[in-house]
Amino acid sequence: MNTDVALAAAARSVDAVKTYGEGDAAVHALAGVSVEFPTERFTAIMGPSGSGKSTLMQCVAGLDRLTSGQAFIGDTELSTLSKTDLTLLRRDRLGFIFQQYNLIPTLSSRENIILPLTLAGRDPDEDWFNEIVATVRMGDRLENLPSQLSGGQQQRVAVARALVPRPDIIFADEPTGALDSHAGTEILTFMRHAVDETGQTIVMVTHDPRAASFADNVLFLADGLIIDEMANPTTDRVLDRMKKFES
Amino acid sequence: MFQYAWRGVRYNKGRYIATLVAIITGVAFFTATGFLSDRVIDSLEGSVDREFGSVDVAVVVDADADAVGSDFAADLRISGDDADQIIAADGVDAGAGVLTGSVAFLGDDGKTFADDAVGRLWIEDDELNPLDLEDGVAPAGEGEIAVDRGIAESNDLEVGSSVTVLTLAGQFDATVVGITKFGSADSIDGTGTVSIPAESAFDWLSSGQVEFEDVYLRGSVDQAELQSTIEPLVPAGFMAQTGDEYREDQQAFAAGVGKALKRGLQAFALLAMLVGGFVIYNTFSVIVAQRLRELAVLAAIGATPKQLKRSLRYEGLVIGILGSAMGVLAGLALTYLLIFVLKLSGVELPGGGIKVSGTTVLQGMVIGALITFLSVMIPARRAARTEPMEALRQAAVETGTLSRNRAIAAGALSGLGALGMLFGGSAAVGFGMVALFAGVIVGGPFIAAGVSRLLRPLLSRLGLEGRLATDNTARNPQRTATTANALLIGVFLVTLVTVAGTSIKDFAVGEINKLSSADYTLESTGGSIDDDLVADLEAIDGVAEVIPFRSEAVTIDGNPSALSTGDISSLTEVADIDISEGSLDDLGPSKVAVIDVPDSGHVVGSTVTLADISGETVELEVVALISFSLDTLTVGNVVDMQTFDSFVGDTAPTKAFVKLVSGAQTDTQDAIEDLTNLRPDIILTHGNELGELFGTLFDFLINAVNGLLLMSVLIALIGIVNTLSLSILERRRELGLLRVIGMVDKQVRRMVRLESVLIASQGTVTGLLLGMFTGAALIFSIGRLSDADISISLPGYQLLMVLVLGIGLGFLASIIPAHRSTHLEVLEAIGAN
Repeated sequence: MNTDVALAAAARSVDAVKTYGEGDAAVHALAGVSVEFPTERFTAIMGPSGSGKSTLMQCVAGLDRLTSGQAFIGDTELSTLSKTDLTLLRRDRLGFIFQQYNLIPTLSSRENIILPLTLAGRDPDEDWFNEIVATVRMGDRLENLPSQLSGGQQQRVAVARALVPRPDIIFADEPTGALDSHAGTEILTFMRHAVDETGQTIVMVTHDPRAASFADNVLFLADGLIIDEMANPTTDRVLDRMKKFES
Repeated sequence: MFQYAWRGVRYNKGRYIATLVAIITGVAFFTATGFLSDRVIDSLEGSVDREFGSVDVAVVVDADADAVGSDFAADLRISGDDADQIIAADGVDAGAGVLTGSVAFLGDDGKTFADDAVGRLWIEDDELNPLDLEDGVAPAGEGEIAVDRGIAESNDLEVGSSVTVLTLAGQFDATVVGITKFGSADSIDGTGTVSIPAESAFDWLSSGQVEFEDVYLRGSVDQAELQSTIEPLVPAGFMAQTGDEYREDQQAFAAGVGKALKRGLQAFALLAMLVGGFVIYNTFSVIVAQRLRELAVLAAIGATPKQLKRSLRYEGLVIGILGSAMGVLAGLALTYLLIFVLKLSGVELPGGGIKVSGTTVLQGMVIGALITFLSVMIPARRAARTEPMEALRQAAVETGTLSRNRAIAAGALSGLGALGMLFGGSAAVGFGMVALFAGVIVGGPFIAAGVSRLLRPLLSRLGLEGRLATDNTARNPQRTATTANALLIGVFLVTLVTVAGTSIKDFAVGEINKLSSADYTLESTGGSIDDDLVADLEAIDGVAEVIPFRSEAVTIDGNPSALSTGDISSLTEVADIDISEGSLDDLGPSKVAVIDVPDSGHVVGSTVTLADISGETVELEVVALISFSLDTLTVGNVVDMQTFDSFVGDTAPTKAFVKLVSGAQTDTQDAIEDLTNLRPDIILTHGNELGELFGTLFDFLINAVNGLLLMSVLIALIGIVNTLSLSILERRRELGLLRVIGMVDKQVRRMVRLESVLIASQGTVTGLLLGMFTGAALIFSIGRLSDADISISLPGYQLLMVLVLGIGLGFLASIIPAHRSTHLEVLEAIGAN
């Protein structure tokens, strides 16, 4: 891993502030966060509940708007975009993986995987599609409906859906939160593999130190601010760092 | 989080609002029709008591309404001598003959006013006279009249006004000496009443002959006793009824219209409520599915199935009672609104105020609550079957599997139904219709699944949203079917009424037009068709010939009929008079050609007995039988002039046929009408008028029925809005995900719209096809069972309108749900935080 090479940011925020409520009741979910998510890297965002880690991801991913400050995908400043343009940006340049697998129940695995392309009216690159399907080992379940798949299988479909359009950046929100440790490891391995082998950029929000250990870099958030950072993390080191914050 | 919860509450409120609106609409419609009809019935029954309250015995035409010849009965009169005898009988305190005829007024500007007013012989006896004087005095002596309050007000007449009265006998100058009223109403007759004293009445209303339509008696003895005293004095064709019997008949007749109206309207209201039942059933099914987790938790902590079931039923009952009560109130408001709207459009309902009868209120409440309660039964049973395990599963969209039993039931019902309709007897046709309809309703989910499979490739071309829309309708075919079925019921009935109604209309109009042949028929009630009139008519450009003939009401072997004579060869030429047996050439002294009435036993060579209104009888030999036709109904039985003179007397012609040159213009008709309008006694009938009249009548009925059925279609619309809104609520996450990964709001809304249009189309097209088949099969079977040559008419334009309307409503129904589908912020929708 070439951590010493300066990499362009796939996404970044500048003085990101997100406030809920007004006056005395105001809660600062983000209290001025400036951060860069480098390309071809796997970044994990950690922090206790209410630390603002999900809010940060949502604002950078164009799912929510900042109260002040700026968020960029590449060179695109998100606050300048209309609602529809934001949607199109997500469709064409971003991928998403959620805790609840969030597949469309009436579509088969194949149809779910190519859904973003279908929405954009594009045809999938067959070789690429086959490669990804083979990677997530779903080749024999492509015609099944989500209700006929296990939780782990559904999440593998969701990972494939995020990877197939070759997005600039994939945002994953607790992707292993609903899975057992074996299925969770599988998913994290696929994500790691995508970064290493195909240069995919991934940003993942998690509270699981083991999941964070798959990342290149871990950001620690508390009370809406980045309080620490860790490169080449391991489960134990992350766990130690977390304990330190709590004490 | 508060906002999220608040939105949840709002959505929940929406669920109940749809249910409530369905109940309220149905109950309001039901009670409003009840209130309105009760007012009309009451007022009609009340006016009978006012009009005939003091009558102890009534001498009236003995007409069996169903008998052939009843058309003639209304022309029968009681002669003055007979009336005098009856009134002079023992026990009679007072008597009054009734005589009416058309009158009108001629204004100074040469235009007529109060056209079609009814001239009435003024009844001297205060108690028997239904009218009261509001102003002035009773008309007495030549040249005096009284007019009713309505005529007086709308034409600025008052006591002392001089007027020109147009009557059968010509124009007369008269002075208004009194203003009359009828109870609280202006007039006893819908078109206005002009009271004429005996000095002028016979001249003005019946060509100088002293005769009456009915005679009313007031006696000092018991009604039945008086009736038996009078009976021997009653002339042929008449009968004596006690006052009670008479009033009962009149009330039944008067209120019959109102009661039939009430029954008809309430049938539609019930139908609307039934459709509402589908909406309620669907809503509660969805509520149960969405609450599965909550119910399962209850089951896990020890709620018995019975308790779960009961909780749902209570909910249904509470909403049912609440909705019905609001429906009754809404019904009251609707009644006032209807009266107001009718008034604006110039229709004044008889009676005043609204009669809020306890029965109607109770019926509305009970039916509304019951339908809600019954609609909740099946969802409640589903709730009772909730397993505690379901609490642990991920809350999913309610899915339905289609059982084989359902397929068998649907197939058997519709198959047997169709067979019964096409090949069965009349009972089988009726049952077949119900079975076929039930089969299609039961088979609805299969249709939903099939339609979705069929349309998927087509709609997929519209993009992903088209594809997803079809999939969504197939996701829970039961729910889709229930929603579509609510619409199907309305569309089915509209189509059935339109197809069957139009076929019957075309048949009836065709048959009527076949019967008639004279271009116009003139008939003078009380006056005569004099030579001047004939000459004036013949002078009109386009009139080829006018054939007047003399006619008189008689009874033939005791049955009311008419007897006519004239230029027989011209008559047969102009009018449609066919001889089925014998020949008109054989007519001569004491010979007659009679109408070939079935089962009358008349044959050529037999003898018939004729009686005129004075009771004089004559026996004539039958030389020909005349086939039944519209024109023979006008002519009646035919004798030669000599026989007519010796039996009836030397009377003037009272009827005429008018023949036009072929290709005559509407100018001709206008000229004829201008001429006859000056003669209030003359009724002008267009040869095709009856056909046209029937056509218009049928069209009116078809449109009226369809208008009422729209009510159920509207409730079905609420159903679609509701189902879609609830589906969107269920699929909140799914829609959220689609939006996260790149479906723009426009596409999401389009998806919802397509789904709505799909559901509406399913209901509309199925209803349309089913209605067309049922209507066609019904007409086919009517033809098959009655040997009538009745053909099936499919009014393309109307059916297309139904299709467009149904699908358009689907689009309309999607407005709110489509808006809601993108209402939530993406993050809230996906439930990410």
